[in-house]
Amino acid sequence: MTTMTEPGTATQVYQLYIKASQEEVWKAITDPVTVARFFFGQVREGTYEVGSPIRSWSPDRSQMWGDNVILECDPPRRLVHTWRSLYDPDLAAEPESRITWEIEAQPGGFAKLTLVHDRLDASPKTAASVRGWSYILSNLKTVMETGEALPPLT
Amino acid sequence: MDDEDLVFKALADPTRRLLLDRLFERDGMTLGELEAEVPQLTRFGVMRHLGVLEQAGLVVTRKQGRHKHHYLNPVPIRLIYERWIDKYRARQAAALLDLKGQLEGER
Repeated sequence: MTTMTEPGTATQVYQLYIKASQEEVWKAITDPVTVARFFFGQVREGTYEVGSPIRSWSPDRSQMWGDNVILECDPPRRLVHTWRSLYDPDLAAEPESRITWEIEAQPGGFAKLTLVHDRLDASPKTAASVRGWSYILSNLKTVMETGEALPPLT
Repeated sequence: MDDEDLVFKALADPTRRLLLDRLFERDGMTLGELEAEVPQLTRFGVMRHLGVLEQAGLVVTRKQGRHKHHYLNPVPIRLIYERWIDKYRARQAAALLDLKGQLEGER
């Protein structure tokens, strides 16, 4: 394991089951069209090669939301990238944290998706704000299982 | 039992809600740390309650070195929230559309 974190580092874990194959979930989290549907309409660009940038913008491209780097890419199992919340100046000023997407095939045509957001020790504002992962991931589940997106957050 | 039954059953117990509250305050605790948070329970009792929470998906464990850390997973609660709140909102919207139709029909 190359991405072991030290105990005591600030870590958040989100997990859910999606009625889809491992490959379908991988495609959904890397395909710009699907990403836009479950992730606030963002414009996503990236080749997903290790060391390459993964960038995102607001739907009208007026604001950059993310300018991160791919740390690991093992389709359809594991994607690791850096995280900085550029959409808010207070959050953007905090140190970089890390996102790990893990997809496991499950019996009965399900995939288990685990998102780990860690290295948040020195980024308390980011840690508080990214609790919204719950909404984003349940939106991904809804998009994949029903084809519909959830109503926007109010 | 389906997933939702497991979540409601897990949340129906005050000790398990207490364990979730403690993880909300300080995520990623080990079994030993959680034990210290609820001194009224035996180690076996804490393990049993954590097992029910894990089964329901409300707690996810991750191994780091020799230690197993416990994390509060809020996604199952979010899914229940969306199921009921969205249904409620959809009904509200339908009722407003009916009202609009009625009022406009009367003109």
